[in-house]
Amino acid sequence: MPTEARSSGWGFAVPRRAVVGLATVGGALLLWWLATSGLRLLNPLRLPSPQEVWAAFSQISTGQGYGGATLWQHALHSLWLVAKGFAVAVATGIPLGLLMGWSRRAEALINPIFLLLRPIPALAWIPLAIVWFGLGDTGKVFVIWLTAFVPSVINAFTGVRGVDPVLIAAARTQGASTAQVIRHVVVPGAMPMIFTGLRLSLQASWTTLVAAELVGAFFGLGRVLNVAGQDIFPGMILVGMAAVAACGAATTWLLGRAERRVVNWRPAV
Amino acid sequence: MSEIVFEGVTRRFPLPRGGEFLAIDRIDLRIEEREFVAIVGPSGCGKTTLMRMAAGLDFPTDGRVLVGGKEVTGPGPERAVVFQQFALLPWKTVRENIGFGLMCKRTPKAEADAAIARYVELMGLSGHEDSFPHQLSGGMQQRVAIARAYVMQPAALLMDEPFGALDAQTRIVMQEELVRLARRNPRTVIFITHAVDEAIYLADRVVVMGRNPGRIIETIDIRPLREDGGWEAMPIEEVMDTPAFTHMRSRIWKLLKAREQERPAAPAPIPATVPAK
Repeated sequence: MPTEARSSGWGFAVPRRAVVGLATVGGALLLWWLATSGLRLLNPLRLPSPQEVWAAFSQISTGQGYGGATLWQHALHSLWLVAKGFAVAVATGIPLGLLMGWSRRAEALINPIFLLLRPIPALAWIPLAIVWFGLGDTGKVFVIWLTAFVPSVINAFTGVRGVDPVLIAAARTQGASTAQVIRHVVVPGAMPMIFTGLRLSLQASWTTLVAAELVGAFFGLGRVLNVAGQDIFPGMILVGMAAVAACGAATTWLLGRAERRVVNWRPAV
Repeated sequence: MSEIVFEGVTRRFPLPRGGEFLAIDRIDLRIEEREFVAIVGPSGCGKTTLMRMAAGLDFPTDGRVLVGGKEVTGPGPERAVVFQQFALLPWKTVRENIGFGLMCKRTPKAEADAAIARYVELMGLSGHEDSFPHQLSGGMQQRVAIARAYVMQPAALLMDEPFGALDAQTRIVMQEELVRLARRNPRTVIFITHAVDEAIYLADRVVVMGRNPGRIIETIDIRPLREDGGWEAMPIEEVMDTPAFTHMRSRIWKLLKAREQERPAAPAPIPATVPAK
């Protein structure tokens, strides 16, 4: 947990941290400008100057864009693929993890297959996904699903196993049925762990998406990176990298909001 | 009818490295309807296991446990349990925790709300209805757990060292409140504790247990002391200062100590897998 999450009792410390952070970023930008444009220490084909990056950003943001579409179209396309793959993974992985956590029999049945597939990195599935689904969206959603599925299952499973047995006993003594125990005790108890899994899933989903788009795609941020690499256009490469980072950060932020809404009962960390 | 009867109850636990641990050896005990029985004993004497068997959370290896004439086959809302660790649902508010059992049996909302409000008031929880458990002190959390037990109007109340996790002052306040509640709302109660004071002050009868294996050493009726001494009208600290009380305390201490010295060598092999607690 980052320390800046502490919101109370810090007086001036929080604003000062922000100021220091801004100064660091500003300093780094200045150094970048000096090294590339100001003092010309670096070859612009290796590291472009801030102005070149800005020019690349202007080019891709307007008109014809770059790599077949504007930045917004590429970004939306990538976001949409991640959202689809992630949603399918959540909808399948969490119920499966909950089931395996709750029922030893289900665990005994499913775990061997899971242990067999788990060591295969999601990226290694990309060639097979292309063979099966081609270079279109389906194959990418498929590999993102595989990527996000594993942490979803494992964390839901671990979350269920971590629920205090006394809470389950207490619910039972109050007359709760199995369905009520699962709904009111097991699922909420596993929820913090489930969200930890979702955060991991989401980060991994972006990695996989970029890799899959680098291999071959008609749209998307990975395609921007790929085309810019082939064109030897460093400014555009940096724009693509920054766009991937921004999209990843935005989705992580959204997930954090969802977590605070769902897990609203925990003491502030 | 809600008398609790243990008939030749034996409980063995398998040990992780093979063999068995005899936790409870042929216990016979009858707790009458609306009787408050405290069970005292050293750790490892099986007192918690005994309570869990009445709750339906554990089962005898031999013998039977009957509540109201029926053999216990599982947990049920007519036997409310108060746990040492409070066992409140952290994601539910005080109101939702107290109302959980009522919700499970689909009590109409108006009726449930009225019952919850009554126990919130009775347990001094007013103003905390919408707090989450982590926002309350230990004493307040245990008040919620007791309210949650009483709101079900259970025939029997099973308490497993309910004040064991509280500090000394809170403990005394809670003991007085429990006596007040128990007199107003008499139930069949099993109260597990290792605090001898607490047992004498609260109970109609005190059951003294020993370990290796867990068994009943003696059962002592406290009612004559309470009635002759007029304890009901006295504050707890005065009750605990009366000669009758201190005499009873020494008597029970001696019982516990004598049994420990009888078998000094063998420390209780408490299996790591005991599902209690």
